[in-house]
Amino acid sequence: MQKKTNTLGSWLVYLLPALFIYTLFMAFPLIDSLRLSLYSGNVPQDRSFVGLGNFARLFGDERISVRYWGAFTNTWIFFIIHMVVQNGLGILFAVLLTAETMRGRHLYQTIIFIPTTFAVLVTGYLWKLMLNPVWSGDFFVSIGLPFLKYPWLGDTKTALPIVALVSCWQWMGIPTMMFVAALRNISIELLEASRLEGASGLQTFLHIKLPLIKPVVGIIGVLTFVNNFNAFDIVFAMENVNGAPEYSTDLIGTLFYRYGIAGQHPIGIPDAGLGAAIATITFFLLLLVVVPTLRSTQRGGGE
Amino acid sequence: MKRMNVVLCVLLLLCVLLPIAAQGTKVSVGEVTLTMGSWRTDDVVQMNRLLAEYKKVAPNVTIKFQPTNPPDYNATLRLQLDSNTGPDLMYARSYAAGEELFKAGYFADCTDIPGLMQNFTASNLAPWQMDDGKMFAVPFAAVSHAVYYNKDIFRKEGLAIPQSWEDFLAVLRTLKSRGYTPLANGLADEWDILETFFLGMLPNFIGGADQRVRYESGELKLNDASFVAAYQAMADAAPYCPVGFESVTYNDSQVLFASQKAVMFVDGSWTAEVYKDAAFDWGLFAIPAPRGKKTAICFHPDMAITMNRATTHPDEARAFLAWLCTREGATMASENLPVGYFPMINFPITLTDVHANEFLALNSGKETDARFVWPALMDLYAPMNQAVIRVMKGQVTAKQAADSVAALF
Amino acid sequence: MKRSLRRQRMHLASHLILILWALVVIFPIWTLVINSFKSRLTIYENPFWIPTVWNFSNYSTVISDGDFLTYFKNSLQVVVFSLLAVVLLASLASYALARWRGRLSALIYYYFIAGMMLPIKIASIRLLEITRTLGLLNTIYSLPPIYIAMGLPVGIFILTTFIRQLPEELFEAALIDGATKGRIYSLVVLPLIRPAVASVAIYNLIPFWNDLWFPLIFINREDQKTLLLGVTRLFGQYQTDWSKVLAVLTLSAIPVLALYLAMSSQFIKGVTAGSVKG
Repeated sequence: MQKKTNTLGSWLVYLLPALFIYTLFMAFPLIDSLRLSLYSGNVPQDRSFVGLGNFARLFGDERISVRYWGAFTNTWIFFIIHMVVQNGLGILFAVLLTAETMRGRHLYQTIIFIPTTFAVLVTGYLWKLMLNPVWSGDFFVSIGLPFLKYPWLGDTKTALPIVALVSCWQWMGIPTMMFVAALRNISIELLEASRLEGASGLQTFLHIKLPLIKPVVGIIGVLTFVNNFNAFDIVFAMENVNGAPEYSTDLIGTLFYRYGIAGQHPIGIPDAGLGAAIATITFFLLLLVVVPTLRSTQRGGGE
Repeated sequence: MKRMNVVLCVLLLLCVLLPIAAQGTKVSVGEVTLTMGSWRTDDVVQMNRLLAEYKKVAPNVTIKFQPTNPPDYNATLRLQLDSNTGPDLMYARSYAAGEELFKAGYFADCTDIPGLMQNFTASNLAPWQMDDGKMFAVPFAAVSHAVYYNKDIFRKEGLAIPQSWEDFLAVLRTLKSRGYTPLANGLADEWDILETFFLGMLPNFIGGADQRVRYESGELKLNDASFVAAYQAMADAAPYCPVGFESVTYNDSQVLFASQKAVMFVDGSWTAEVYKDAAFDWGLFAIPAPRGKKTAICFHPDMAITMNRATTHPDEARAFLAWLCTREGATMASENLPVGYFPMINFPITLTDVHANEFLALNSGKETDARFVWPALMDLYAPMNQAVIRVMKGQVTAKQAADSVAALF
Repeated sequence: MKRSLRRQRMHLASHLILILWALVVIFPIWTLVINSFKSRLTIYENPFWIPTVWNFSNYSTVISDGDFLTYFKNSLQVVVFSLLAVVLLASLASYALARWRGRLSALIYYYFIAGMMLPIKIASIRLLEITRTLGLLNTIYSLPPIYIAMGLPVGIFILTTFIRQLPEELFEAALIDGATKGRIYSLVVLPLIRPAVASVAIYNLIPFWNDLWFPLIFINREDQKTLLLGVTRLFGQYQTDWSKVLAVLTLSAIPVLALYLAMSSQFIKGVTAGSVKG
């Protein structure tokens, strides 16, 4: 085709608005946050270079490091629960929903996806009420299930799993629908052939379906990982920004909010450098996990 | 192509114009509107009444009350101040939380506001005073802490107000054995168990301000026998909290007391308004001291009002603060303050609410002090909070709880 | 015969599992709705069953409170403007990236796509400063630029893929007619990419409408709050009255839920569009 249409100049005008907004409000702040982690001070005028000082404090000051490692561990537990429950059930539901001869698939699909349309805040407040022993406890006792009258959100052993399960409840629709879409893409001839060979449902799933939907498994894994290292709202709604009880639901997201954005109750003066240091570690951790995962599951890439 | 360029230009222009459009509107000449920031979302009605009264004094000044959720107040206030959209007038926290904002240059220096230095006692000025004597706010109200109790149930069960901590535990035991939930307090929100209960009763165990200073200087240790006894008291009270008190929030506690599901509630005076329409008779008593010690009250200087250093109407803002330092202003303020907030000015002011006076009566003849960590040990707020929670859950002994805080001093 | 029986039995198990999960989904929603029609104290009686007396005043109080409608209006403005801008900017850029082939083009494409995997939240501290410098802090105008930046990567991913799959002949025919790029964009590309545009809009609708983080850290003025941020305020205000809190929650959930129920397949397609190659 014509050469002149293939120059930067002729296309620039189309790209410029998107590039401008994206660079100013996403790429630049992301990269510059990494730089901020090397400085102290909350406002530009009294910012000074401290090298790796913020990182030294994050890991060296025992009061801070114990919180960081606590939140770090909790976030991984939070992630694993999502992988197993949310994505595991998501795959199960997707397989069931793609059985061609079953009735009511559309209805089930619609219902599974409903919580995803809710704000995390709504979900969190709602479940917080339902799990409140003061509110529902007597009811559980009256129907003969007294063990349900329990301070689920107040016990350090149960709080994190419960919060994670509520989050799974909310987001279940996304992996389910992604898997459904991927499974539908598998050619019917292939499945027919496997059936004729006498393969059982499970065998077909393991040997034919799963390898074919590997790219989607990879993407969902990555999305889950990214979202969990970002999670904030659910803990904000169900516990508080301290990750109550006793920091047992403190995630990287709430830790970042406390140190970098809001400051600790009751004084409330944030520490931007420390916050940026937390963000920087998260940034590299994401790169470290996301890039290899995508590379190994996505053959061919973008095109 | 031309059309495309026009669209793009408009878009880019929009990006540039947005900030200008967002600069806000200027009020017409003569009329001045001031905004007032606060963490008291519950007090909108009362504050609007007070501000309407001020309108009679200064007809050209309108003050708008714009409160924020309490836990977010400091963070959002800083956010506004940083962005030059801070309120003209605002509530100021006492001690370190307020000092930080003064040091950061957000609060104006209030030292020379007429009447301020004359009409308040030194101890009432201190919470909003810098080391060099500068005042960063005008003291506005103090809060108290006590035990709310359901008089109807006490009467029915033939119980009397306990005079010592040991009696208090006996009352708790009796109530529990008769099938009641004795105490409404819970742990879910964390701050309330520390601020209302533990710090509320701490003066009973360690004494008043003169003793507090000895702890602050390091002369007395934060894990001495008095402190261990205080943590032990929390552990002793825990079994009488609601089943599942680990996840009972502050609001749950209020509801438990208001709906007569719990008989007592150790709480701050600011809650008194909530039970105004309660269907039962309720009263207050001081958290009693253990035998052999004197009952003291945690009477905490809580709020002051200050002005934004960068306000565009400094004269009007200053005039309002000066009004609060006059007899009529202070009287008007306390008449309109919500129940459970007590004026700090020197003039004798009579309160009309029964329960407010009941609170004040608890002070008579007793020593009072601010919440222990506020004046100098704010860093210990979170560790002490966690220690109290752990000891109440039975995860640590009172000694271990005290040690864990003392180790950080 | 035997196989069909077996299949039926297999479906029975499937139905059981799916019905069970459907109950797990519906039960909390049921709880939410019925309790919003109780009153402050009756909410503690029969928590999971219908009220003995239906109380509609929670809704009228919440709505007549005034603030709720302000919050709603703010959210609507922010979301609609951001979605329109994302669609416009992404479609322009995608048209360029799909039609202009070359190393630089590929580079720019990946520059955009990288944003899909990097959460913008971790840049919050810097964004706070940028927003402050622009004088947008504490106004709803602080939100659209960030939402647009957040929405562009997925928008460009979906639309570029889609435009690349349009038949080459369309463009050639237009070029032979002497159409400029601008004309091709507005007369050929825009009408054809409508289904993909819908996906882009829906994909971004939920995160924009339900975002709490940026309003929380950027906005404190009552008249500038978004719905979700407003919900936290109302939560504080009605804290001792759960029935009103639930009415607030129900009202805030209705818009997206209604839209979803009205066009669920389109919705599901949109939300999953970011990962599944067309």
